Amino acid sequence: MNINRHDIRQDLQYAHEQAWSSLSKPGTWWSGAQRRELAVTALMAVREAEPLPPWVTVSSVAGRIPNSRAAPLMAHDAIYRIARHASTLTSDWYARVCQQIDPLAYIELCGIACTVASIASFRRALGLECPELAEEESGEPSRKTPNNVVAAELNWVPVTAPADKSAAVVQAFTAVPETNRVIWAMADAQYIPDKEMVDPHWTRGTLSRVQMELVATRVSQQRECFY
Amino acid sequence: MLSWSGTEQGMEVDLVSVQAATGGVAVNFAAELVSFATAATNYDTGDGNDDSALATSREALISTIGLDATIDAAAVIANFEMMTRLADSTGARMPTEVVADRSATATAMGVDKVVSRR
Repeated sequence: MNINRHDIRQDLQYAHEQAWSSLSKPGTWWSGAQRRELAVTALMAVREAEPLPPWVTVSSVAGRIPNSRAAPLMAHDAIYRIARHASTLTSDWYARVCQQIDPLAYIELCGIACTVASIASFRRALGLECPELAEEESGEPSRKTPNNVVAAELNWVPVTAPADKSAAVVQAFTAVPETNRVIWAMADAQYIPDKEMVDPHWTRGTLSRVQMELVATRVSQQRECFY
Repeated sequence: MLSWSGTEQGMEVDLVSVQAATGGVAVNFAAELVSFATAATNYDTGDGNDDSALATSREALISTIGLDATIDAAAVIANFEMMTRLADSTGARMPTEVVADRSATATAMGVDKVVSRR
């Protein structure tokens, strides 16, 4: 059966279109050109049938990253590793990355990897082509920084205060509010709206809650994600 | 979450079966759902487009639970492709006492010794 976009519920289409188009627009810490370039590297990482092993940086392999670049090589290396080998990341690796990339810019980079991996996965699962990325938009990153960014115990990355009062995944992107907004808008449409999370009987009328959790558990296990 | 929602609905969910990709016996269409999730997350067999195992599992799921539910299953897969990267790239970890409470679950799922445990 061929599935087309009209088969996909509108709220899900909308969330994906908004997130995908944001990849080519100026963000909080990266320009539109940088975000688009990093999204291309993330897309390459999740699509490769024979990916580079985790210990090989994508920038060390000729022809993988454009010679003329907007984003630094470390950002390409980091997003490739996150997109393809996230379960292998360590705090030492994060510390090395943040010697060259500001932690808040790193959070936005993680958001790009998450967006690309999610939408590419959805399209592939349904036998749909991934849409083309839009041309990059000009403009400067907003550099909007919350005035209450603090270190956390439950994450490597900084978060907004009060730290560690909510789950680590919930607070992870809070120091970059626009990234946080895009990711949780996708989560609401893809999985369970935040306000319904506590109801074990909530459904969209298709999958039961336990069927959704079964799929979620299998994906997490496949990705060797302890969290 | 799976154990919790299953218990709340009076279902037994066999986590070892989930790890073995055979599905938990008490969940309707578990085998088809787990097969679809497994094929959709196995990137090493495809080139980013489709592949035969994924197409076969997708068609099997559509024929059992319908198109809309299959699309929602793909959306859940997409969400956890996102959330696993969010967790692992930001160094997300659970409080020590929660990890201790869930050790049996992690062992049953075969994720008790993964690198991402922190």
